Amino acid sequence: MFSGLIVRFAFWLHGSGRYEKVKTLFRDNLSNSNSKYKKYVDSLMIFLILTSVGILVYEVRNSVPEWMDFYDIYIVSILFFIEYILRLWVDSDAHTVIVNDYNECQFLHKPFVLSISMKKIFKHKISYMLSPSAIVDLLAILPAYRPLSILRIFVLFRVFKLLRYTRSISHFIDVLSSKRFELYTLLFLLVFIVFTAGIAIYVFEETSNSSIETLFDAFYWAMVTISTVGYGDISPVTDQGKAISMVIITSGIVIISFATSIIVSAFSEKLDELKENRIIEDVNKNKTFLVICGYGQLAKMFLRQEENMGTSYVVIDKDPMRVKQAIKDGYRAINDDASRYEVISKFNVSYSQVTVLCLTNSDVENIYIALNAKSLSRKIKVVARATNSDMKKKFELAGVDHIITPSGVANVMLNTAISQPAMYNAIYAILTGKDVANIDEIHTYECNKIIGLPISAIDFKSHKMLFLGIQRGVDGDFVFNPDKNIIIENDDILLVMGLKVSIEYFRQLYARGVSV
Amino acid sequence: MSRQAFVFGYAGQGSSLVAGLKSNQFKIHIIETSEDRCRRARADGFLDVVMMDILNDNELNSLDIDPDDHIVCVMEDEHLNVFLTLSLRSLFPDTNIVAISDSIYTTQKLKMAGASKVIDIYKISANRIHNILNKPVATKLLDSFLLNKGDISYREIHIPNDSFLDGLMVDEVDFSKYGILLVGLIDMELSHKFIFTTTSHIEHKLDTGDVMVCIGRDDDVDRFEKLIKPIKVEQEEVCIK
Repeated sequence: MFSGLIVRFAFWLHGSGRYEKVKTLFRDNLSNSNSKYKKYVDSLMIFLILTSVGILVYEVRNSVPEWMDFYDIYIVSILFFIEYILRLWVDSDAHTVIVNDYNECQFLHKPFVLSISMKKIFKHKISYMLSPSAIVDLLAILPAYRPLSILRIFVLFRVFKLLRYTRSISHFIDVLSSKRFELYTLLFLLVFIVFTAGIAIYVFEETSNSSIETLFDAFYWAMVTISTVGYGDISPVTDQGKAISMVIITSGIVIISFATSIIVSAFSEKLDELKENRIIEDVNKNKTFLVICGYGQLAKMFLRQEENMGTSYVVIDKDPMRVKQAIKDGYRAINDDASRYEVISKFNVSYSQVTVLCLTNSDVENIYIALNAKSLSRKIKVVARATNSDMKKKFELAGVDHIITPSGVANVMLNTAISQPAMYNAIYAILTGKDVANIDEIHTYECNKIIGLPISAIDFKSHKMLFLGIQRGVDGDFVFNPDKNIIIENDDILLVMGLKVSIEYFRQLYARGVSV
Repeated sequence: MSRQAFVFGYAGQGSSLVAGLKSNQFKIHIIETSEDRCRRARADGFLDVVMMDILNDNELNSLDIDPDDHIVCVMEDEHLNVFLTLSLRSLFPDTNIVAISDSIYTTQKLKMAGASKVIDIYKISANRIHNILNKPVATKLLDSFLLNKGDISYREIHIPNDSFLDGLMVDEVDFSKYGILLVGLIDMELSHKFIFTTTSHIEHKLDTGDVMVCIGRDDDVDRFEKLIKPIKVEQEEVCIK
């Protein structure tokens, strides 16, 4: 009866879209670094930790006002507790275990035993609770319990809890853990020397040295000496003890230099990766961003033209030399192969509008990157470069949204240059987007005062602008040089040519609604 | 048409560029330094292919190049391309030399070497990417120029003798009535420089010999070009009709 209810409840949860949605929401905001609001959750937790640690430290020598105590005991601890419970909840799906087990039993005509599923669920949850970060979380709740002042020491765990919310520290730990083997070896050596030296000094000096009374004193002396700190509160008095000191000091220097070199080499090995991860994290925060594959002449020219892109782009190239060059030129570049699925999938496709520019010199490469991006998500917009127009069809099949053919462009320009030379410079200026021939769009949402006016009512000439045409609606047709009596409607886009300043002034004028 | 185009280089970019030129009814001469590429050019259907040492001025001078002809420099090696441009400019000071460049640094050097026009193949493409990303409507119009998509194109129109436009101010002519837009003009009275209508501060008077650059649908531009010819011609046309 009871187990039947539980199973039914599990199935209800399994089928409930809303439950799934709520759980995903919490999961994203607690642990998905691509989530929009996670940084706010993190900032709040960091604030709670810092204030509560501050209060506890202040409390050591001063009496704190009641509201601070209240804040520390109730608000901080309760929030920590809620966070702990939420993390425990989102870590694994209990109802799926029951549903799967139940289905399996049905399939095999086997009686369903709830306790087996419960054991599984319990195991999952316990394994989460025993993970280091969960233990820190739990211990960080404890300092709230005042009667036991020993619990105050757990305030340290609140400081440890900061690790969860700060990237740099967790990166540091990642780097160190990559050298786990070397560091463990060194640690073993250290323990071995401290142990041997401690026993030796104890044996030689326990009777003659008044400051060494217990084996603990001996180990303490060995540790202080090997670390080259040497407080001097305990020092050897016999010749044997001094000899041990000499050996231990020498090995201390060796161990410290070893440890330093291991940590430094770990960092230098991981530094590029860390930097690249940081670049990807930064770019993922943008609502729209560009992934530029290949750092050749076309990419260079494009980046030179695009100013104020901030962090909303990243250059990817297979060739480390070209990446170096890109970084030298001041661009955000990473060394990776964009045709690999894992590389493109690092980008935050579900939250942002991503545009991939395939600008390498090779058609094969560009098509592969385009397919790779499109296979990850159809939402990704792909602009690709093709070496000649024969390739166009293949690019279209691959689902590329726009195809760029520099040689085709050069052909058009060459024909213009020799058959209509007088106008060559004019067309070149238009096509390269020079300021004298800047073609720009005026959207009705930024100039809402033009809505409802017929085109003839706007004196483009006096604004030093040339009206080229209009696009009716967001996805409507473009009408070149339309009838001057048509009325501008919402969502229309006007296409004009003119100096940037003229167009900017026009925008300001019609946005403010000053009559003209 | 007796005009000739001398194309230096038939590798990579060069071969696809020349293929685009074929349609333009020029007499095309191809000059190459390698026997292999000469053979390829011949195989592609070009009859007038010459192999020569382009570093040698005497050989270059032997080419029969007139001031009315066009020279296109598309050597694969950019250093060679700059050197060639410089040599040709010194030998043929009045000929139109068009050079192809693939980087901003080369563009500058080619200009200094005396090329009349330098086509930077990536600059236009880079701007097109910029437009695709930021100005989709502008892209539609510009693509119709670049890719021959749609029927809107640009054309230079010379004002003929005794045209009705002769003597009119630019403001007095309503070009959009003819379905075309005036982008700018070369006002021979003032200078030989192109002036965009959107940047000029003064009123321009249209005169015989001025060059207008217009954009419009192909048939509208054709009609307009016919229309501005002297009335006499029009009358003849009417008679024929």
